[in-house]
Amino acid sequence: MADITGPSIPTTRYPMWRWAALWRELFGLAWQRMPGMVVFYFAANIVVLGGVAGTALALRWTIDATIHGDAGSAALAAVLAALAYAVNVVLADLVATPIPLIDQPAILGLLPRVLSDLAAIETLDHLERSDVLDRVTIVRRSPWMIMAGFWSSVGAVFALAQLGVTLLLLGTVSPWLLLLLAVAAVPLWCDRRGSRAVTEAELATAETFRLQQHLFELSTTPAAGKEIRVAGSAAEIVRLQAQAWQQTMNGRARASAVGAAWKFGGWLVFTAGFAAGLAVVVDGTANGAGTVGDLVMAVTVAATLRNTLHGAVTRTASVAQVSRFVEPLFWMRDHLAADRAHRTGTLVAPPVLTEGITFHDVGHTYAGTDRRALDGISVHLPAGSVVAVVGEYGSGKTTLVKVLAKFYRPDSGRVTVDGVDLADLETRAWRARISAAFQDFGRFATTFGQNVGLGDLPHLDDRERVAAAVREADADRVLRRLPDGHDTLLGRDVGGLELSEGQWQKTALARASMRPEPLLFILDEPTASLDAPSEQEIFQRHMARARELGARTGAVSVIVSHRFSTVTGADLILVLDKGRLVEAGPHDELIALGGRYADLYGIQADAYAATS
Amino acid sequence: MPVRARRIRLLRALRAARPPLIAALCAVTVLNALIPAATAIATAFLVSRISGHAPSGLLAAATVPLLLFAVVMVAGHAAEAVTVPLEFMAKARIDGAHRTDLARLAAGGPTVDRLESPRVQQLIRIARADPRNWTERTPGDGAVGQLHWLIGLVGAAASCGVLAGYAWWLVPALLVPAALNGFLGNRMHGRFVEAWRSGIPQGVHGAAWEDALASTGEGKDIRLFGLEEWTVAQIRRHLRGLLEPVWRLGAKAWRADLRRFLLIAVPLAGVYAAVAGGTAHGDATVAVETAVLATGWSLFQAFGLGEDARNMSAALETLDAYDEVREALRRDEPDEARASAEPTTGRATVVRFDDVCFTYPGTKRRVIDHLDLEIRPNELLAVVGLNGAGKSTLIKLLSGLYEPTAGRVTADGVDIRQLGAERWRQRISVVFQDFVRYHLTVAQNVALGCGDVPLDYDALEAAARDAGLGDVLDRLPDGWDTPLSRTRTGGVDLSGGQWQQVVLARALYAVRTGARLLVLDEPTAHLDVRTEFEVFDRLAARRGETSVVLISHRLSTVRQADRIVLLENGRIAESGTHDELVAAGGAYAAMFAIQAERFQRGYDDVSGADADSEEATTHG
Ligand SMILES: Nc1ncnc2c1ncn2[C@@H]1O[C@H](COP(=O)(O)OP(=O)(O)OP(=O)(O)O)[C@@H](O)[C@H]1O
Ligand SMILES: Nc1ncnc2c1ncn2[C@@H]1O[C@H](COP(=O)(O)OP(=O)(O)OP(=O)(O)O)[C@@H](O)[C@H]1O
Ligand SMILES: [Mg+2]
Ligand SMILES: [Mg+2]
Repeated sequence: MADITGPSIPTTRYPMWRWAALWRELFGLAWQRMPGMVVFYFAANIVVLGGVAGTALALRWTIDATIHGDAGSAALAAVLAALAYAVNVVLADLVATPIPLIDQPAILGLLPRVLSDLAAIETLDHLERSDVLDRVTIVRRSPWMIMAGFWSSVGAVFALAQLGVTLLLLGTVSPWLLLLLAVAAVPLWCDRRGSRAVTEAELATAETFRLQQHLFELSTTPAAGKEIRVAGSAAEIVRLQAQAWQQTMNGRARASAVGAAWKFGGWLVFTAGFAAGLAVVVDGTANGAGTVGDLVMAVTVAATLRNTLHGAVTRTASVAQVSRFVEPLFWMRDHLAADRAHRTGTLVAPPVLTEGITFHDVGHTYAGTDRRALDGISVHLPAGSVVAVVGEYGSGKTTLVKVLAKFYRPDSGRVTVDGVDLADLETRAWRARISAAFQDFGRFATTFGQNVGLGDLPHLDDRERVAAAVREADADRVLRRLPDGHDTLLGRDVGGLELSEGQWQKTALARASMRPEPLLFILDEPTASLDAPSEQEIFQRHMARARELGARTGAVSVIVSHRFSTVTGADLILVLDKGRLVEAGPHDELIALGGRYADLYGIQADAYAATS
Repeated sequence: MPVRARRIRLLRALRAARPPLIAALCAVTVLNALIPAATAIATAFLVSRISGHAPSGLLAAATVPLLLFAVVMVAGHAAEAVTVPLEFMAKARIDGAHRTDLARLAAGGPTVDRLESPRVQQLIRIARADPRNWTERTPGDGAVGQLHWLIGLVGAAASCGVLAGYAWWLVPALLVPAALNGFLGNRMHGRFVEAWRSGIPQGVHGAAWEDALASTGEGKDIRLFGLEEWTVAQIRRHLRGLLEPVWRLGAKAWRADLRRFLLIAVPLAGVYAAVAGGTAHGDATVAVETAVLATGWSLFQAFGLGEDARNMSAALETLDAYDEVREALRRDEPDEARASAEPTTGRATVVRFDDVCFTYPGTKRRVIDHLDLEIRPNELLAVVGLNGAGKSTLIKLLSGLYEPTAGRVTADGVDIRQLGAERWRQRISVVFQDFVRYHLTVAQNVALGCGDVPLDYDALEAAARDAGLGDVLDRLPDGWDTPLSRTRTGGVDLSGGQWQQVVLARALYAVRTGARLLVLDEPTAHLDVRTEFEVFDRLAARRGETSVVLISHRLSTVRQADRIVLLENGRIAESGTHDELVAAGGAYAAMFAIQAERFQRGYDDVSGADADSEEATTHG
């Protein structure tokens, strides 16, 4: 079943001008890439338009000439009919779905544009909420559909024109047949009614369809396959998948039956009208007002009329369907526009930090939740310092560092860098002076060398720089084991080598070590999956690097960690609890304070105490 | 595959639609196929009535043929209208059965090594019958197309009958080019599919970058390191690589179109001219001429001008890929010893690795190298080792997801391969580093920890209590029935820590329903110290008769284990209790010292001291 799922979110209606603008954009994409093909497409449509009329007219001529015993004319007319038919057949495919015109503009034009827009959104909500992500997924997969929808709408215009021409032809037989124009509106209207029922059913079943896709994907991917096998849940998952499929299809089949009933009703009316029209033509023939050729033409035209009308309806229907893809696209562009509107920042980051970074009563709540992830944080991180962030899970540590990287805009308070509001710094310029390894770091399906080198794009393929970063992250052991060294392709999905969890983490750390002079260095649980010696090694290297950078550029290093052994040496330790900053100070001070930090530290220290 | 076998393959797929539906579909399709010939005859009938008749009373004479004509038209519309839902249902059944079969096949085999191979993954992508672009078609499309094609032949025969009414030679004159045209069209489409397939490896890379752009993990890195444009350029490059072969072929396709035009136009023009000229000379009646003119072109349609041929050849790709997947996943050896092993669920088990070696398929390095290990009943065994030492691999071998390249894994002395994967896995429960997040309800998410027993609500509640899931449950709008994904109506997204609790409940549910060996691969890597301790205390208290294998880099939790083994160079290098290992002063002791030392002194004076202990472990 050709099916791309629609959005689960309530659809918004966008004004006509948005559509017009999009259509203009799409036409521009096609025209720019293949002007010859566009011209050819329009020409082909016109030829087909004429071809249908031509076939009918030639047939009439043939019959009339035959009856008059004019063999030469009859044969000539018959040849013309055959040619007109053949032209139509050859062009019909192209006119119905102009694949070249869809493919290239969609894949090389619209898709990169859509993806660039997606990448240009500076904040992260659109990737973190599963319902929003759903729309993003639709947008990603939609360029082909949207481009096809555009040409469908062009085709719909031609199909309606063809309908008009056909009916005009009938009008030449008898003006009474022009009345069929009005009757033709009935099947047209009924067909639309029917298609609407089908579209509505598709939307209503989109959720179960997606669930079905999700379960299918789980069954067929090796990563999930491990657990499914061990838990013996394969049968149950397959059963749920089949059930979701059935549920989806039952709903859609019902709608399809309803649609068919509408359609048939429409045609019944039309056929009655048409038969009456034929009777008029026959009557006219009897009175000498028409010829037998007229009759044959009317009948031939009637046969093609169904196809013509059908073509017009399906094309208008597919234009209606494309709104399922266009609406998420509009939504994403609006989201990007809103994101841009927030970007007031124009300043570049200072070359060196002299004061440091300050939080002024910063608060943040994630969209769709009612708990504050950060709540009234006020603290100064001095230039050149090493700052550790600790706290229980979900206390807001990651949120804090993501705010520093401008992934979220705090909804209250502000953050300043050497006195300049973070919001006034140009985001990309600020990020160019940050380096980071996040908790859920990226695993890129490319070579090991690029996985590291991407941390400093201008030096992507600089072997020496990459090798130095690898050493910095204690990842030389990983590198040594790779069969093709730097050029080893990673990632099972693309047929590359798979790394162990800790080996991936080291790769991410190496990436974070690529940029030579960051002003802000973020490590979010950098050693969660690392073995003890590597943790130690990396921690020492990064501590040394942080100190060196701090002295040189006043860089601030922020390290989030659950391992208290790694935070004791920090200049400043921030203790978070439910989004609030409850304690701040160096290790000794906090221990002396005897509060939460001392408490958590105690738990871990006890666990390592010499006697068990 | 020869043409006939392929047609049969498609018709076999049709069986999934079930006989009553197939019969109804055949009936309407036959009706549809006969419409052109019937229209021609009805028109001819009408013409014959009119052309000879005197003007007076013509309308009365034409009434019957007119009605007949109207009936044919209505029948045509009815058949067409009914065809749509019937075909929809048939395709839904066929594709549903196909997808479910494929899912069962992929999820079914005992090991994951074959499923994991890039070739099988690529085949699955082709076989999944979830079209993402214009070249893909589903088995349903193909099977229905095949039915059309066959029944179209019936229509073609009827049309031939009409043609023969003028002269017999009209039949071959149109039939041969029509068939040739169909054949050439098919071949062209085959070439397109081939070109498409040749680009797929590029497409896989492109898709990976596209996914990266929209995922939180890679997405953050891409934005932070300013890789936006670079990534889009990669995608463009790979997609171009994917489609260029097709485009190149498409650029040449106009020649095929020209050929097609000639193949239709020349014979049709010849036949039409001959018939028209002949009739004008009085060789036949106008009625016969009308019939011939109306049927001539329909022959070309019968031989797959449009969708049917394309549907058939593309759907066969899907079916072929499915057959190849089945072949690749098939196992020859029957589970002979299955019957011999007694059901031992419920009893504690001794698991033993006997001289096990393992190398990942397609790689050269031996990850597990002559390893011997015993997991004793009711034991809490901790496995430690450096990154990449093979701990996770050990777990995969233990749960039978890969077969050892040499040696064997036994449970109470029986090779687990002989025991049969299903039976063995009823006795174990594993939390993997990358656990599964089902878009299903909490209840289902927990209960899928043991999918082969019916849902046991008591066990569910008990597992939730054991795992401390109560906090999470209390916050959910529909409690146990809340779906865990915002893409579902009334669903919610959980945080990483909350998911970890759900997964722990999942594992404990399996324990409640009979698993006797619980394996945890870094279950608390991202939890804070307090939660980590709570989890372990609970686990230690609730494990009862169950043996636990724990993998962790947090030696503070590891030390509580009954026994600790250190994995190094693919084998067990050290084994004993924490105190024994520390006393022995080996690699474990050094590792523990590294983590513990910081708690004994401040940071600043550590740096010098542990330089040598690090020496001892990293290169041990
Ligand atoms: N994208 C998101 N959408 C909604 N809520 C979120 C999101 N990310 C985090 N949260 C919530 O915000 C709070 C703080 O989360 P955060 O990830 O900052 O905590 P953390 O201290 O880093 O925790 P951990 O130690 O588990 O990494 C938590 O309650 C979490 O559930
Ligand atoms: N699916 C796979 N295919 C090929 N090689 C793999 C695969 N999974 C792991 N490896 C390789 O096997 C080795 C051992 O990996 P494993 O995941 O068992 O390590 P680990 O001890 O669990 O490490 P960590 O502590 O980092 O989780 C690694 O060198 C890794 O590159
Ligand atoms: Mg975090
Ligand atoms: Mg591991």
